[in-house]
Amino acid sequence: MGVAIDIILLLFLLSIAFAACVTRNLFSAAMLFGIFSLISATLFVVLDAVDVAMTEAAVGTGVSTILILITLASTGYRVSPRPAGRQVLALAVSVVLGATMVYGTLDMPSLGSPDAPVHTHPIAQYYTEVSPVEMGIPNMVTPLLASYRGYDTLGETAVVFTAGIGVLALIGRRRRKDPLPIVEEFREGGANRHRVLRVISKQLIPPILLYACYVQAHGDFGPGGGFQAGVIFASGLMLFMLLFGVEHARRIIRPVVLEKLIALGLLIYGGVGLVNILQGGAFLDYRTLAHDPQHGLHYGILTIELGVGITVAAVITTIIYSFASHLRDHVMQRTLRLRQGADAAQTSPESGA
Amino acid sequence: MYAATALLLLLAMGMTLVRALRGPTVFDRILAVNMFGTSTVLMVSVVSFMHHVTDMTDIALIYALLSFTGTIAVLRFVEIDHERREMERAEQEREVLP
Repeated sequence: MGVAIDIILLLFLLSIAFAACVTRNLFSAAMLFGIFSLISATLFVVLDAVDVAMTEAAVGTGVSTILILITLASTGYRVSPRPAGRQVLALAVSVVLGATMVYGTLDMPSLGSPDAPVHTHPIAQYYTEVSPVEMGIPNMVTPLLASYRGYDTLGETAVVFTAGIGVLALIGRRRRKDPLPIVEEFREGGANRHRVLRVISKQLIPPILLYACYVQAHGDFGPGGGFQAGVIFASGLMLFMLLFGVEHARRIIRPVVLEKLIALGLLIYGGVGLVNILQGGAFLDYRTLAHDPQHGLHYGILTIELGVGITVAAVITTIIYSFASHLRDHVMQRTLRLRQGADAAQTSPESGA
Repeated sequence: MYAATALLLLLAMGMTLVRALRGPTVFDRILAVNMFGTSTVLMVSVVSFMHHVTDMTDIALIYALLSFTGTIAVLRFVEIDHERREMERAEQEREVLP
């Protein structure tokens, strides 16, 4: 039965990927990628990779769709046909790259094979047999990410941090001193616009934020942790931004605070490591945090997950703020220009007469 | 029992997929994505019961909460795009007039 589900889902995936490549309308492609993400999350669930599925679910539904759509809104979404020569070249490059990747997978052990290094290597046995006893944490993935491979996760958090800094440096900070005047039609606070959606969203945002906190704190026992929780939290804030406008959102959750939070999360993570050194242990050796080593591990993992969650939520919110403000300024400038043009067109015939 | 449910859900997903692939309008695709999200919530729940791993229902919950956000984003995009096209048309008309 599992095999049948696998095959059908993979066929779906294939047809979606093909259609997304073929379509000339990038908006349709964005929609198809939404479905692509849904199918791959289902596949992860079928493969029992719960934590990966959760990440895909959290990122694929809200954040990545919003980012792609904002980009399309500011650049346009119709692809003009390219000269045939370049298309052939692109196809050749893709085919060669794809063939190389398929060739690379030939060396991999087949899925579920008992001889795979994953099952035979002693470290895997250590992780599956010793870690639950040593850590006292039911979900094996969390101690693996946060403790055994704590340096890796610190590096990943630094990557997220760098991404946030990069976007801020490129388009985040407003260079214009005087903000554009708010044109009445574009005033997102207009009371009657999207009233039903606004009321519904106001009721939906608190559960989303609460659920993010649950995912954040529940990483020890089920799928979840800082990364997923940060993304879910940011998605809740995005829902607010979508319906009440980016200016309104920026006034409630200020970019200045977000910038500090980006750094704070990473600081908490690194700070835990420094405290460990001061307590006489190694960097990120959480056992020194409490008298009982197991309690120390739990405190350490919870604290660094909190740091990861803060950084991820702040970075994603910052990125989407930057994109949305960029788009908004673009639209507003255009409106103002058109308005001036219209005024000039209206007044000139009268003055001529 | 779960197997039959899963197969029927896959059938529903397939039919939604056809709508998403064929279009023809923007709103067909939006509806298809939304429908597919709902089917995914159910599919994940069914698979989690098939595997006897209740942790997976957390993922279904994420989809239930967040797919709304995605749909709102898409609809806002369509709205902004519509406004922009209206403006472009007005601009062109004005250029033609004098």
